[in-house]
Amino acid sequence: MDGWFGFQVIWDNIEHFLVGRYPHGPIGGLALTIWLAVVSCALSIVIGIFTGLLCVSQNRFIRYPVLTVVNTIRGIPLLMVIFWMYFLLPAFMGMVVAESWTVIAALTVFTSAYMSQIVQAGIEGIPRGQTEAGLSTGLSRWRVMVYIVLPQAVRNMIPSFVNQLVSLIKDTSLAFIVGVAELTHVATQVSNRTMIYPAQIFLFIAVIYFILCFMLTSYSRHLEQKLAYRKGI
Amino acid sequence: MKKILAFALTVAFVAGLAGIALAEDTYDIVKKRGTLIVGTKDASPGFGYIDPKTRQIVGYDCDFAAYLAKKMGVKLELKGVTSAARIPQLQAGNIDLVIATLTWTAERAKQVDFSYTYFLTGQKFLVKKGTVKSLADLDGKKIGTAKGTTSEQNASKALPKATILSFDDYPQAFLALQQGKVVAVTTDESILAGILGKAPNKEQFEIADIRISDEPYGIAMRKDSPKMLKFVNDTLLEMEKNGEAKKIWDKWFNPKSDQPMERGKFKITADRK
Amino acid sequence: MFNYQFDWSVVLTGQYAQWIVDGIKVTIQLSAVSIVLSFLMGLLIAVMRLSNVGPIRWFAQGYLEFIRNTPLLVQFFFWYFGSYQILPQGVNDWLNARDFEFSAAVIALTIYTSAFIAEDIRSGIRSIPKEQMEAARSSGFSYVRSMQYIILPQAVRLTIPPLISQFLNLTKNSSLAMTIGVAELTYQARQVESYTFKGFESFTAATLVYLTLSVVITALVTLYDKRVLSPTGMK
Repeated sequence: MDGWFGFQVIWDNIEHFLVGRYPHGPIGGLALTIWLAVVSCALSIVIGIFTGLLCVSQNRFIRYPVLTVVNTIRGIPLLMVIFWMYFLLPAFMGMVVAESWTVIAALTVFTSAYMSQIVQAGIEGIPRGQTEAGLSTGLSRWRVMVYIVLPQAVRNMIPSFVNQLVSLIKDTSLAFIVGVAELTHVATQVSNRTMIYPAQIFLFIAVIYFILCFMLTSYSRHLEQKLAYRKGI
Repeated sequence: MKKILAFALTVAFVAGLAGIALAEDTYDIVKKRGTLIVGTKDASPGFGYIDPKTRQIVGYDCDFAAYLAKKMGVKLELKGVTSAARIPQLQAGNIDLVIATLTWTAERAKQVDFSYTYFLTGQKFLVKKGTVKSLADLDGKKIGTAKGTTSEQNASKALPKATILSFDDYPQAFLALQQGKVVAVTTDESILAGILGKAPNKEQFEIADIRISDEPYGIAMRKDSPKMLKFVNDTLLEMEKNGEAKKIWDKWFNPKSDQPMERGKFKITADRK
Repeated sequence: MFNYQFDWSVVLTGQYAQWIVDGIKVTIQLSAVSIVLSFLMGLLIAVMRLSNVGPIRWFAQGYLEFIRNTPLLVQFFFWYFGSYQILPQGVNDWLNARDFEFSAAVIALTIYTSAFIAEDIRSGIRSIPKEQMEAARSSGFSYVRSMQYIILPQAVRLTIPPLISQFLNLTKNSSLAMTIGVAELTYQARQVESYTFKGFESFTAATLVYLTLSVVITALVTLYDKRVLSPTGMK
């Protein structure tokens, strides 16, 4: 082993880890990991709120089918969802879908199912009295939900959303399977090329993921405490 | 049951629509787009791998892709594909051509169209020096290869008692060989030579002289594109005639290269194999 | 893929059906072993996390944070490929002569899941009134025994719902073992797809199996809760 217990290999390939083949080719590495996670997170918050609302609908014919779909997705591995998307998306879209968007679609579908559970629990956590009060002032059920219940519920849900973003950052590593050049894929490329440094390389990217996720986890804990404090008043 | 049927019908219907949308000849799609998107390997030394200095994909396959794009008068975009992803990617329309060490098989030829053979090799075994003399030395052992490849299928036929461990690509399988997790990595000799050539401790390994199959590589495209097929085949023959094909071979596999290989009697011709 | 011809016989009969069945077996073995180990390890880490001894507590805390905030796939690669550089050659040879792929998958799944289980159990333990521990200690139980007989059984019961979801996550996460060559269900489904090009059928089969497993695991843990943890039915 050469100097620094072989960690020289990290420094030699640092550009590759951070941005992939950019600017000579498509962007990859850590930058792509963050892009995949952020886009999927934004999309799944929107879809999650929407399906979450459907899950608490009074209408059985809406609630049951949506719940079935949500629970089915929660019951299968993300890897399976990725393969499904890979297979079905081009058929449904009737057009070319880049792999990174296939992965974003899979991550979004998968995470939305979890988001919708969070939203559902969040809505159910708002005291019934609020809905009743809203209804008694003559607002429709829909308006009570959108103007009174949902804003409070969403505020309480923000820490959970941040936690989902953490899960997403970790889950983007599965994009490796379909050959999207995010951080984990780039790491295996470098590891395969240099052959004798897998421990250093995987430890290094683990630390990168850790820094990213731990910052977010700490932030979400901070938010939770702030919320608990507010509720205390 | 009715619901499932309805769902299946919807899928079939949408798939049908998508079929119509994609029915245009790939040749015309590429011309219109102005870019030829080719799927190549990005971790197969000699054929398609990332040059550590420029971080570009380069290799034998890439040079063929570049020639085709130039001839068409369009820009070239190379996309790294894994072995298992090659055909699905093509069928999904993410890439126009597969030039990625893809062996012609009857089963695959039902799914996609193949050009004439542009590279010929055979399947062998990369092993630790002096450990393997014959096929019998390998049976019952762990053998590494890559998912979704003919190598995997040939190996399980030739060595029914062996445990075949499939990784996501060959260099990863070679890493497993380095670490003693498998006793051999099996795939096309050309790929093995490339991996060996790039290995930091190549003197410890050798390619055992046991050949279990012929592997003719073809360029694959979607079935609905006769124009593209004709264009690719004509161009391949032209490259053989004007010496370009031999030049590319010598560029990557000359005796002084990392993975010397004799072109021997191989020529690109209008017959398969 | 377009003009798709459905052919369910691919996954229902013959060689390819056998592959799927083999995959199911491996997934069940892998999940079952890892569930048991990660539960035990989770208990241990949870207790360490609440220890009065600083270094033990710090170690447990560091373990929890690092493991929970790192992708499982990277941990798989680290244990399978990275361990080689860390372990002595003799140990490597010993492991390689055996089914190290399976063991590495068990190690990765156990370590990853135990970190989540530990957090769930810890909040379970903390919701048990302090007086119970004090009462146990004053009636002569050691700290470890009080934990073992008084606190943990109650904490585990309170933790059942989150435990179920951790076990389900583990079963789903076992699919990642395909990346290190373990021929579990997702691996086999993908194999069938790449040999036959019948992705719709093979993925449907795998999806249905995972859903069934989820239902079975939920039922088993609920049964365990009813029969073993609260046999008298008290709440």
